[in-house]
Amino acid sequence: MTSAPADSSTGRLRGRPLSLRLSLWARFDGWGALVLPLLVVLVLVFGLPLAVMLSRSLTDPSFGLQNYSDVFANSVYLRVLGNTFLIATIVTAVTLALAYPYAYLMTLVGPVWRMIMMGLVLVPFWTSILVRSFALVLFLRDTGAFNSALQSLGVIDEPIPLIRTLPGVVFGMVQVALPFAVLPIFATMQGIDRRLLQAAESLGDRPAGAFWRVFVPLSVPGVAAAVLLTFVQALGYYITPALLGGPKNTMIGELIVQQVSTVLRFGFAAALATLLLVTTLLLLVVAGRFVDLQKHLMRQS
Amino acid sequence: MTKILTRAGLAILAALIGVYLILPVLIVVPMSFSDSSFLTFPPGELSLRWFRNLVEDPVWIGSALASLKVALLSAVSSVVLGVLASLALVRGRMPFRNTIIAILLAPLIVPYVIIGLASYIVFLQLGLTQTTLGFVLVHTCLAVPYVVINVVAGLVSVDRRVEMAAMSLGAGPVTTFFQVTLPLILPSVLSGGLFAFFISWDEVVTAIFLSGPELTTLPVQMWSGIRVQIDPTVAAISTIVMLVIFGSFIVLGLTRLIRQLAHRRSATNSSATNTGA
Amino acid sequence: MKTTKLLAVASAVGLAVTLTACGGGSSSSASEESLTVTMWGGAAQKAHVDSYFLPWAESKGVTIKQDSPTDYAKIKAQVEAGQVTWGPTEVEPNFANTACEAGLLEKLPQDILDKAKETGVAEDQIGPCAIPILQYSFTIAYNSDTFPDAHPTTWAEFFDTEKFPGKRGFWKYATGGMFEAALLADGVAPDQLYPLDIDRAFNKLDTIKKDIVFFDTGDQMTQMLASGEAPLVQAWSGRIFQAQQAGEKIANEWNDNLVSYDQIVVPKGYPNTELAFEWMRWFLDNLEAQAADAEASIYGPASDKALEFVPEEIRKELPGYPSNAESSAGLVDYGYWAENYDSVTERLNTWIAQ
Repeated sequence: MTSAPADSSTGRLRGRPLSLRLSLWARFDGWGALVLPLLVVLVLVFGLPLAVMLSRSLTDPSFGLQNYSDVFANSVYLRVLGNTFLIATIVTAVTLALAYPYAYLMTLVGPVWRMIMMGLVLVPFWTSILVRSFALVLFLRDTGAFNSALQSLGVIDEPIPLIRTLPGVVFGMVQVALPFAVLPIFATMQGIDRRLLQAAESLGDRPAGAFWRVFVPLSVPGVAAAVLLTFVQALGYYITPALLGGPKNTMIGELIVQQVSTVLRFGFAAALATLLLVTTLLLLVVAGRFVDLQKHLMRQS
Repeated sequence: MTKILTRAGLAILAALIGVYLILPVLIVVPMSFSDSSFLTFPPGELSLRWFRNLVEDPVWIGSALASLKVALLSAVSSVVLGVLASLALVRGRMPFRNTIIAILLAPLIVPYVIIGLASYIVFLQLGLTQTTLGFVLVHTCLAVPYVVINVVAGLVSVDRRVEMAAMSLGAGPVTTFFQVTLPLILPSVLSGGLFAFFISWDEVVTAIFLSGPELTTLPVQMWSGIRVQIDPTVAAISTIVMLVIFGSFIVLGLTRLIRQLAHRRSATNSSATNTGA
Repeated sequence: MKTTKLLAVASAVGLAVTLTACGGGSSSSASEESLTVTMWGGAAQKAHVDSYFLPWAESKGVTIKQDSPTDYAKIKAQVEAGQVTWGPTEVEPNFANTACEAGLLEKLPQDILDKAKETGVAEDQIGPCAIPILQYSFTIAYNSDTFPDAHPTTWAEFFDTEKFPGKRGFWKYATGGMFEAALLADGVAPDQLYPLDIDRAFNKLDTIKKDIVFFDTGDQMTQMLASGEAPLVQAWSGRIFQAQQAGEKIANEWNDNLVSYDQIVVPKGYPNTELAFEWMRWFLDNLEAQAADAEASIYGPASDKALEFVPEEIRKELPGYPSNAESSAGLVDYGYWAENYDSVTERLNTWIAQ
């Protein structure tokens, strides 16, 4: 048993039996302790201010659960919250469907094409989201380039309404999310040894079978990372949906901003944020049961 | 045969996705040459006035440099802290593992406006608003989940036996990390670092809280007029940034090409002098 | 290859370090007097600051620092933390009202309030913590290509989608004038608008709900109107005229317009409050500066007396212009909105999401 430091910073454990203090520190091994620098920074810069802020949900404007009962009293908040999760799911599915083949092709082509494809993926990063969303509105609206082009080609007679609709929001959000999905998937795919596929084929498997049975499972860590990143990020978007979507596509982020910046109900906004945080964490836990995230993300069963 | 078909299909899909990805650029670049004080597409009369504005008004260059500084520092610190944390998560033992994971992922989930307000209230007391340090601290927290998720995904694919081989040959853990592990996870680390940089570079919500006359970042400068009228200079900024990036990609590509050519030439030279090796 | 990577990393770090060393955070000059002005940003803020802050500042040797955009959460956070950095700030009057009562703003000295009335500022636009800084109207803005001959001239006609087919644009904001417009369209007399019968307004809005599109920003507003997506919009008069001058086929219909305004306040605890008050006195006296701003930004001056210094072609598009003022349906009552903004916003959110 490694001994605990003489005067550990675990002040809250002072007075607890020595065995507990010893065991807490001992449960960090050499590798595990590497998480401490980040943990300290996160707790100090992010965690503590956030905890103070979220506790306002219980104290501002008055002590108690008033804010939370207000949230549940008006169905609009829960409806928007549910809508947010729905849109995030759709965006994640579409993004994955596009990112996986794109990343796969990146592993197949030569270095020049790969660089070009990588460059294309990085291009959205370099345009600010404000400008991007505006450009998309100009492109997708009834009198925009997209509809005008289709009409002049004779494909359609009437303009297709795209902005202020769910497809418009998904179009815009997937555009933002794609780079975040392609890169981790590609990074993982790059590390997969193609000889494994060849070995499978030489053992009698068809190329398609080798792909599904060997390649895809090996690419799962990248996919899991992409899904996690895309989904959770999509929950927080509100700028793109606000510009591209209609009133029915409002996402919870917009309401939270409204409560903070115009209505100035900090406590209520904190309650909404807490609700979002708790729901998301619960969702991850539930998903973890089904997909055993730990095993896939960290190869630990 | 099916292989050719699938390859062709993939190529078409990738081309479409490529167009989809650069769509805004195709719109923004022409827009930046428009003379109108409103963002319009297709642009009517053309002029360079917004580019001139970019150069003449010091707020734009000032905020761009501020953003660059903050983003670089945030990316570096996120990568360092994030890689360490990823190693710990994948390789190590720790108490309250799930809680720690939740804390590491929380900045992704909590709305930035709440993080911004919370930090603002605390930083006001500490005098950290409108400072580079304040920005870097907050942006590092925001960016670190991106690094961790990417690097963890990369780490799990590393074959530990290579590391063990290195260590059995006498390399210490640190040397093994830098010589063996890091090159293997470099794509993930670079992805994470890239994400961290862009998260900070384009971040506007917390930046609005932390910005002020002493220090303003580029996104805040771009957003500042959004309520009444967006300044078309933002389109010019995007075009310039695009040019810089494409320029560097081309330079990078050219240097690689030149080196390859030089390498090939020296190889043919050496093989000419190498008789029967 | 490895060396290149190392070099790349090293240069990135080196660049970062150099940048830190170079721009190491400018220290605020405490010796020289400075005033931090915060408004809604963009070209409008530039026009405002150039017109009535910089001339005063130059004559007094004061530095003007600017921040944007106004953020009510920041004001509240600054005052609560006791670290106020914002001086004169442009806000909406309902916020000025609520914040004043909540003690977040400095109360204006009596001489400033008196001077405002003397120099021609409308009394109902002055508050204990605020004086108006500019005026504008919510007008019926129409696309002149879609409606070349006849267009709605009253809110009742605006709500008539049979006679004037097409979508209707509204600002997605409780104080954006849509409730007032709905009530006027439903037959309520202008002098009996307040307190607003929100239920009746929602009923009227329901009749055109499927044709309503909302905008959040000025650009969205002009774009939806100019593109014809929403050929009729309840709009901000100044922006419409500016777009019209830039060549867009849109115009203001001033009949039935609802006058609105923004105010200047000083957050409580601002170190240079006395300086801010000095500026306010200068501003109220200086009608030419107000007129210069009106000409540059197409917002009406705080005092209608300044209108005589504004060129005719611009004066026609300001709320204080005689014919516009006569055909106005009144001033938006921000006292009502101070009390009801929260609840009406929540009802609006609910109604929109249905």
